[in-house]
Amino acid sequence: MRHYEIVFLVHPDQSEQVPGMVERYTQAIEKDGGKVHRLEDWGRRQLAYPINKIHKAHYVLINAEASAEAVEELTTNFRYNDAVLRNLIIRCDEAVTEESPIMKAENESRERRSRSEQRVERSRDDSESATDDNSDSEADTAEDDAE
Amino acid sequence: MARFFRRRKFCRFTAEGVSQIDYKDLETLKAYVSETGKIVPSRITGTNARYQRQLSTAIKRARFLALLPYTDSHK
Repeated sequence: MRHYEIVFLVHPDQSEQVPGMVERYTQAIEKDGGKVHRLEDWGRRQLAYPINKIHKAHYVLINAEASAEAVEELTTNFRYNDAVLRNLIIRCDEAVTEESPIMKAENESRERRSRSEQRVERSRDDSESATDDNSDSEADTAEDDAE
Repeated sequence: MARFFRRRKFCRFTAEGVSQIDYKDLETLKAYVSETGKIVPSRITGTNARYQRQLSTAIKRARFLALLPYTDSHK
């Protein structure tokens, strides 16, 4: 068992296949005791240069602990799948679980929006709970006084 | 005597104590690639040899995955 980082690029017209492919690959990895530590779907991204006259591709990143056989299976899978434009498999020293910089950049605008919404909700919750706490403490002091 | 006092170069990665340069961190990599897409030599950026080696593999991986261009004359 070793740690691997796998990235593959899928033809944008075959984007719908991505969830199925990811499912199959995770099964292949987990079949003999492997484990997927990080799975990121970067979605369709602009390529820095055209590959096979295509300007966009669907990126998927998988960090996993897998056996050599599983990795072998993946490489042959990638080779014979015409939808996969490129793939990169790197050996890693340890499991990586934190969000990758690309995913961060991708999510940034979306996150910001959702965060601002959450903040509004949270501030509402906080104010409510704060008032609750106050009433509780008052009740306590009242009891103390009674004793 | 025409003496220039250039700002001292320093290695960003050493300063920050980076353990491994990530090929997915495009913002960092872009700072070490010229406008034409070449890797900028360490004698200009001041990057330490250890990190320059990591940087070059990171940039080459990013190029392979079409995250960075090989040159500016693609297409």
